[in-house]
Amino acid sequence: MATSALALNGVDAFYGDSHVLQKVSFTLGEGRLLGLLGRNGAGKSTCMNVTVGLLPPRQGTIEVFGTPVTRLPPEQIAARGVALVPQGRRVFRSLSVQENLIVAARAPDPGSRHAPWTMETVFKMFPRLEERRNQISAHLSGGEQQMLAIGRALMQNPRVLLMDEPSEGLAPQIVAEVMATVRKLKDSGLSIVLVEQNPKLVFDIADDIVILNTGQVAVVSTAAEINQAGVDLRQHLGVF
Amino acid sequence: MNFWLVLTVNSVTFGGLLFLLSAGFSLIFGLMRIPNLTHGSLFMLGAYFGATLLTGVFGVKLNFWVAAILAALGVAMIGALIERLLLRRLPGDALAQVLVTLGLSFIAADLCLMVWGGDPINVETPPWLGGFMRLGSVAFPNYRLAIIVIAVVFAIGLWMLLERTRLGAMIRAGVDDPDMARVVGIRVSQLFTIVFALGAALAAFAGIIGGPILSVYPGIDQDMLPLALVVVILGGTGSLLGSFVGSIIVGFIYNFGQALLPELAYFVLFLPMLLVLIFRPQGLFGRQLP
Repeated sequence: MATSALALNGVDAFYGDSHVLQKVSFTLGEGRLLGLLGRNGAGKSTCMNVTVGLLPPRQGTIEVFGTPVTRLPPEQIAARGVALVPQGRRVFRSLSVQENLIVAARAPDPGSRHAPWTMETVFKMFPRLEERRNQISAHLSGGEQQMLAIGRALMQNPRVLLMDEPSEGLAPQIVAEVMATVRKLKDSGLSIVLVEQNPKLVFDIADDIVILNTGQVAVVSTAAEINQAGVDLRQHLGVF
Repeated sequence: MNFWLVLTVNSVTFGGLLFLLSAGFSLIFGLMRIPNLTHGSLFMLGAYFGATLLTGVFGVKLNFWVAAILAALGVAMIGALIERLLLRRLPGDALAQVLVTLGLSFIAADLCLMVWGGDPINVETPPWLGGFMRLGSVAFPNYRLAIIVIAVVFAIGLWMLLERTRLGAMIRAGVDDPDMARVVGIRVSQLFTIVFALGAALAAFAGIIGGPILSVYPGIDQDMLPLALVVVILGGTGSLLGSFVGSIIVGFIYNFGQALLPELAYFVLFLPMLLVLIFRPQGLFGRQLP
């Protein structure tokens, strides 16, 4: 069996009294792209917050390349190679583009096979960021902020990249650009979880599909299987 | 004419001291959202430590600047301990933070009274800065001019630290979005301790270099703390420029107010703060809190 890059095992999480994740389990294989789908409020972002340590799970375990990271503080989970492109982008608004990248910079793991990400390679991938390197990030457009959020995550030289709705609120042309970037990252061998509300964006890029419904895993499958069998997903995702 | 010039220099000097005091207060509040009411005590402790080192410990009398730096380092350690041992346990609980820091300031005041007694201690001006600089018919004390220079140097140094280094960018990232800062791997908790210790050191340094002008006496902590509060409310929390401009403004208001309208000195001091709170609650240079 292939190595697992990220595994959630029976994760229970609460916001106050509301039980937002119930026994959620899924596994991201090394070098694969897992599409995490579900309606608004299904618990997709909560899965991301639990994984990066912002919301400690009440039950269950989380493993990164076989090492448990459950209930570690976020900065230690980051040090184990998990990076997040968060929902709403959350760039550091008072920092310049360049500073946003610098603060996240981390040397890659010694065993890493990829060429390390540096400011230069991030700028090569997103030339528009280089043009604006000294601008305050609050003044960037939504698409540019999204690129910055991705670039910032790459500066951590992650082994697992979590992307939470990177297409949200962007013009179709920019969405296509972002998805092309995701594909490039996948082709470079990075293990990726892509959270999306829009399944169309996910099916032609993902290897595996996990669908959440009201805090529980409803479907675990591969994109190929779903495409072939024409599984009816409408009950989980709403009409699309 | 002379009167106005001298008053102006005094105002700027006092503003410089206030800047050293309030820059740390503002950073601590901006980054950690902790209203650190021990800040006046840290100023006072710095002054007492420095004064003691100057009069001689075990027969060794220290140079003024060496004493000032040692006092600042000592108080930085106290600040780091307060943050690690107490405030660390009260994240996000403003009421508890106010009570703990206020309580600590009472304890510090009583301890100082026990150790140093109730009489004011005069701090001697460093000998080579004791003279005056003559400009026409007006004479400015060199020491006051030196404080202005020191404040400007510190302002530039702090600005470089915050705006031109990776550490500074990390601190600002922590102010912007502490959760996200941790997710990208910034050890925000370490930054908190560093910032708290730095703020404490600055306050203590202000305390000792202010010594030759203000002297050191019980209650100086509670005299200085409200001024730092006014500066930060005027300038905006977390903004270095705001602290600087706010300090100079308060320096002027305080000195001119006491000279011209002594009965209304506090009214004159707090009125601009009230106006800022009504019309620009985030302060002159502060950002709107999310």
